[in-house]
Amino acid sequence: MEANSATAHQHQEPVLKDVIPVVNPGHNFETVSDKISSIVLRERTPITLIMALGIAFLVMNLLMAALTKLLYQGVGVWGLNTPVGWGLDITTFVWWIGIGHAGTLISAILLLMGQKWRTSINRFAEAMTLFAVACAAIFPLFHTGRPWFAAYWLLPIPNTMALWPQFRSPLMWDVFAISTYGSVSLLFWYVGLIPDLGTMRDRAKNQIVKMIYGMLSMGWRGEARHWARYETIYNLLAGLATPLVVSVHTIVSFDFAVSVIPGWHTTIFPPYFVAGAIFSGFAMVLTLLLPARYLFNLHDFVTMRHIENMAKVMLVTGLMVFYGYNMEAFFGWYCGNEYEFYMIYNRMTGPYWWVYWLLIFCNGVAPQVLWIKKVRQNVYILWGITIIVNIGMWFERFIIVVTSLHRDFMPSVWGMYAPTIWEWMLYAGTIGMFIFLMILFVRALPMIPMFEIKTLLPQSKVRHKE
Amino acid sequence: MKDKKDIYGLMAEFDNPQAIVDATRATYKAGYRKVDAYSPFPIEELSEALEFHPKVQYIVLCGGIIGGLLGYGLQYWTSAVDYAINIGGRPLNSWVSFIPITFELTVLIGAFSGAIGMLILNGLPQPYHPVFNVPRFSTASSDRFFLCIEAIDPKFDRRATAEFLKSLGALEVTEVEP
Amino acid sequence: MSEFASGYLVAFFFWFSISFGCLGILMIQHLTGGHWGFGIRRPLEAAAKTLPLMLVLFIPIILLSHDIYPWSHEAEAAQLGNKAKYYLNIPFFVGRAVAYFIIWSGLAFILSKFSLEQDKTNSVDSAIDVAQKCRNVSGPGLLISALTITFASVDWLMSLDPHWFSTIYGILTIGGCLLNSFAFMIIVLSQVGNREAMKGYIGSKHFHDLGKLLLACVMLWGYFNLSQLLIIWSGNLPEETIWFIRRRGGGWEYVGPALILLHFAVPFFLLLNRSLKKKPHIIAMVAGFLMVMRLVDLFWLVQPEFHGGVISPTAVVVTIVSAGIIGAIWLGLFFKLLSSNPLLPLHDPYIQKEAIVHGGH
Repeated sequence: MEANSATAHQHQEPVLKDVIPVVNPGHNFETVSDKISSIVLRERTPITLIMALGIAFLVMNLLMAALTKLLYQGVGVWGLNTPVGWGLDITTFVWWIGIGHAGTLISAILLLMGQKWRTSINRFAEAMTLFAVACAAIFPLFHTGRPWFAAYWLLPIPNTMALWPQFRSPLMWDVFAISTYGSVSLLFWYVGLIPDLGTMRDRAKNQIVKMIYGMLSMGWRGEARHWARYETIYNLLAGLATPLVVSVHTIVSFDFAVSVIPGWHTTIFPPYFVAGAIFSGFAMVLTLLLPARYLFNLHDFVTMRHIENMAKVMLVTGLMVFYGYNMEAFFGWYCGNEYEFYMIYNRMTGPYWWVYWLLIFCNGVAPQVLWIKKVRQNVYILWGITIIVNIGMWFERFIIVVTSLHRDFMPSVWGMYAPTIWEWMLYAGTIGMFIFLMILFVRALPMIPMFEIKTLLPQSKVRHKE
Repeated sequence: MKDKKDIYGLMAEFDNPQAIVDATRATYKAGYRKVDAYSPFPIEELSEALEFHPKVQYIVLCGGIIGGLLGYGLQYWTSAVDYAINIGGRPLNSWVSFIPITFELTVLIGAFSGAIGMLILNGLPQPYHPVFNVPRFSTASSDRFFLCIEAIDPKFDRRATAEFLKSLGALEVTEVEP
Repeated sequence: MSEFASGYLVAFFFWFSISFGCLGILMIQHLTGGHWGFGIRRPLEAAAKTLPLMLVLFIPIILLSHDIYPWSHEAEAAQLGNKAKYYLNIPFFVGRAVAYFIIWSGLAFILSKFSLEQDKTNSVDSAIDVAQKCRNVSGPGLLISALTITFASVDWLMSLDPHWFSTIYGILTIGGCLLNSFAFMIIVLSQVGNREAMKGYIGSKHFHDLGKLLLACVMLWGYFNLSQLLIIWSGNLPEETIWFIRRRGGGWEYVGPALILLHFAVPFFLLLNRSLKKKPHIIAMVAGFLMVMRLVDLFWLVQPEFHGGVISPTAVVVTIVSAGIIGAIWLGLFFKLLSSNPLLPLHDPYIQKEAIVHGGH
């Protein structure tokens, strides 16, 4: 059996009528390198991309304007007031962090589970993670009002009062979780890039470009022992990143859940937040990947298999999130606590009722069309669904943050919250920044890991020692 | 002795993974020890052929343990020893609340020590390496496979080793400038 | 009487969690594929088909409900108001239980029927069509099962204290069922793996994969429990902390830390070890140990609500004896069901490929 395993591999791919390959047939090692590296090294930038970059840059400037105004005048320019002390800023923070989860999930969990379809999309998703975390970090940092003090308050640095940060507070856990997540994601992404940076170095024609890639690749030369250590560490990083990614959104959920506010204090929050994060993350990957696939003609590496699988993950995690909504509603009634009950009643029928029902539509109802195979394979409808989900997940965080706060225990402190123009500008600005960075990424680095794609080709298989 | 000094070694080129694995096995069996095999993607059998088993995972384990102890120690010392203060009636050593940061630091230090350890053991970053003097070596990161026997190997002999490499089915055997 | 009733409940739920968990794994496995499911497909089907037996074994719980569930008493029900009127009352409780079992058993039998149908197919294409049918059932089936087990866990376990609630409880129960079932499957596979029919198909790779899944379940168990503890501990609301306070005296103060150590820490570090996961008999021993810990964990979930919060030695004995008796009946049925069909689904189109590629090593 062993002697034929290489041939068995060559036969196995097209046999099953319903299995779409992860790499379209007809590629060899050279064409893989060529196709992927040419996007960066040889081809001209598509005009649509240049236009998108320009628009993203303009939108990004809204961020600058919003932050300047905020720092000049203070947090009063936002619509926050008692009782709603967390508004669009924390809503959007959680939204971005959630989006940032797909990258590590695709890279790490799917790697551990031996899912080969992860390979074409992991680097793209990881880059997305990094930029999403960068966008997310802006919000809590500026929410402090004086971000230049943030490091001094938040990190355990000895100060003149001899006081230390309060480690029983979830906000401190958040600082550690987000910074660990950002650093480890960057590390994981960079380690994954090293061999491909070597390839880029060897293929670049321009001396300066060659030198830059050469420095970034640290002189990688693909020696067998290096590969062995590299693979060990890459798998271990995946093993560490998997519980990390779960812990990050868990800790974000603790920001809410360890308080005693009805609508925040509920034990289902950790898994429900994690599922929501994966849901929105996969939606965002598809939102960006589908146009990129079309623009750079990546149909050979991002096949229908990838797209359908991502749609399925969206469906499953969407159902988990929907399960969470239903549990909140059921236990709001079952617990027999009038504040808990009023919280859920107020969400459904109070002044923000339309946000709640839109959220149910976007996250609960609309994704159900993904049960249909035809829909999962139709990139246009699928793209539309991902946009709906992105919006729905933003609404979800808005509902959690705002409706839980705006009607406090006593009616005398009830109030309403509406974001001001400066908050909307800040939000829009981070979207601009995110897209701007993504476009720079696809132009500067190989967006699909070349060496990993090569290991998927049938000709990469080697017979075991007898 | 003279010829050992002017060259780094001999490099043989192959065009498929099976060939390089077979060649590496044969080279190792023939008694060569200063052997390096280069491939554009990881081939598990290749490092096995060199009888190499990475130990780098223990660095991650140590880093993780140190990170965890550091994380818990930091919280314990600041909250219960250095500035013990009653907050919300919680015990000074609130172990339940200390778990998240302990976990985060375990992962942070474990991951970084592993990645940095891997680079150090691999001798990276390395600005200069003789194998890049072989012009064809630029294909080692795309679709070609190379086997290099270093001149410092006791069995190395400029002519005999070249013959040996050719006998393994190498497409081309080149001398590597130091 | 409450010693007997509560002990029986623990034992019942222990074996039930395997029947139900195996149904869940079976459906997951149809949807995700992967060769880890190859060796255990038929054992999973056999275990899931014991669900009707569990309905029969549920009858004593209905008969003893006055000794188990406080809400079944008039006085308590009056205090609970609408909750007792519309949800926690005996007729609805029984009706729900019957409905759950009909749904679960239906899923188990349909999937098993399809699977045997696949054995009779003689072309890859028709086998794929059957696999598609399995997926079509498993998707919605998994959804319905997740919802029903959540309500079942509220009905059977959480309502032991009808005032207490925790929204993660359903997920905690699902995690426990999966852990128990994976552990059981590893043991079964280690026992039948060297039978003639399995020769050449089951290798250390399967145990390695199942071991990884077992490790994942152990981690999830720790994660869900930590989440619940941390949120309730930090919130510090009397109506919620009562659940943990009840488990801080009467001998329970030793069980909690023991669970952290033996249900999480020790198996976690053991299962991290790669070579351990590849040795069938050693991984089976770890799995067996985890099954014992599952029983202890269920004991910890149920028993502190009885006997004035003190560990009752009688209840311990009752639990062990009834777990043994139910186990004997359950295992008898399980092995009968297992032996009545071929041990391997050899016509599975996806798995055949895996067997060719990965077989032998």
